[in-house]
Amino acid sequence: MNSIIKSLMRQVREINRKYAVPEITTTPLVRFCLIGLRIYLLFLVVLLIVSFIIAARR
Amino acid sequence: MAMQQTILEPAKGQPDAGMNLVARSFFAFRRSAKAMRLFLAIAGPGIIVMVADNDAGGITTYTMTGAQYKFHLLWFLILLGPVAYYVQEMTVRLGAVTKRGHAEAIFASFGRFWGWFSLLDLVLTDWLTMITEFIGMTAAMSIFHIPPIVTILVVWIIMGSMIMSGRYWTWEKVTLVFCVVNLIYIPAAFMVHPSVREVLYGSFVPYLPPRPPVGGPSNGLFFMLMANIGTTIAPWMLFFQQSSVVDKGLKEKDIKFGKIDTFIGAILTVVVAVVLIIVCGELLYGKNVNDAAEAARSIMPQSRFIGTIFAIGLFDAGLLGAVCISLASSWAFGEVFGWAHSLNHKIKEAPWFYAYFFFTLLLAGTVVMIPGAPLVLITLFVQVIATSLLPAALVFLIILLNDKKTMGKYVNTRWQNIANITIVVAVIVTSTLYAISTIFDPNFLK
Repeated sequence: MNSIIKSLMRQVREINRKYAVPEITTTPLVRFCLIGLRIYLLFLVVLLIVSFIIAARR
Repeated sequence: MAMQQTILEPAKGQPDAGMNLVARSFFAFRRSAKAMRLFLAIAGPGIIVMVADNDAGGITTYTMTGAQYKFHLLWFLILLGPVAYYVQEMTVRLGAVTKRGHAEAIFASFGRFWGWFSLLDLVLTDWLTMITEFIGMTAAMSIFHIPPIVTILVVWIIMGSMIMSGRYWTWEKVTLVFCVVNLIYIPAAFMVHPSVREVLYGSFVPYLPPRPPVGGPSNGLFFMLMANIGTTIAPWMLFFQQSSVVDKGLKEKDIKFGKIDTFIGAILTVVVAVVLIIVCGELLYGKNVNDAAEAARSIMPQSRFIGTIFAIGLFDAGLLGAVCISLASSWAFGEVFGWAHSLNHKIKEAPWFYAYFFFTLLLAGTVVMIPGAPLVLITLFVQVIATSLLPAALVFLIILLNDKKTMGKYVNTRWQNIANITIVVAVIVTSTLYAISTIFDPNFLK
């Protein structure tokens, strides 16, 4: 099990190295908008999950 | 020699104006037949992804849409057809030009942070959606008194057999057969004899359902709109079709037929959605129906034949969805981790690819066996969660398709950008309206 986890971690590090530099250059504004969109959408998902839990309890 | 050329084949580059009508018709027929053979060879990813889109969660969503709103939202479903086409055809171009799957494309283009974010996003939503497929399949077979554990075991065997041929083409042809079965609902729409006037009105006159007792612009309506969006365009579909295009080996010159394949798939997905809403709107309107299996049971006393069609269609929808979703995840992981990840590889040649595929099957099937799990709620909420996360995936896709350096002449046109950005904005607005109606719902946080 340990060797599998170590192997996976090594692969993850290799992937991070391989994709360290993105091919598409985005401006800071675009990066800010992308992060903002993600945060907003995650907020909506959290709201959905809360609403789901309430509905499940009823 | 010149005469022979005229009879058998026009000389290359020479106009056929000198030929008689029979010869011209003959050559036109040969060209069409050749084009048709080429199209049939290329068709598959688009039709499969669109028909699989009407998965168990989708059938449940359409069932409840019809039961709650009769034909009032048909126009919305018809609108989602072109929406699905515009989104999915981008993945055809991206896959054929870059020869990369969607996960790999995001990692390479946007870097590791967004790559991992998108991949984990995909894994989570795919896993939840897989659970809904198994929920649908076990519920469908329970109508015929088949225990859930038997259904799950049979599904594992069927799905395992489908992918273990070691040939993409074999898997594709078998899956297309299941896609044809998904059209089983179509005769039912004629058998229930709906009011043609009401169907046409609901299909072509866009309006929100009237105020109570049907609902009006309420939390319930926005939830249903989002569920319908989520079942028509889902993040897994982007990953699936692009990876499928790559695994099939489509080239840039095949893009035209890939688009036609996607277009036909979009029509089929809308047709099935519409007929389901018609059947449920006619037979179950106003009744308290919570899922597709319950709908099938409610329909059985009215028409055993239609109820049976419903149950078989639900099982088929779940199976199609499960196959495609688990492949979408397996392809994505294989692309990113550099495993062999093609259906053209046998198990020994791509062990991790197939291991991940079976792992998702086992995990999803096991969750369904947990006693007391709120399965219906999970089914609907998964669609809505997928919708909420969709804009992020679409934004990445649009940026990728606007990269002229990579896409060359297949870059998005202005019209395609307008259409796709409108879709993103519309989904965000709908999600926001749902969030607002949830927060201001008097029962929220009680």
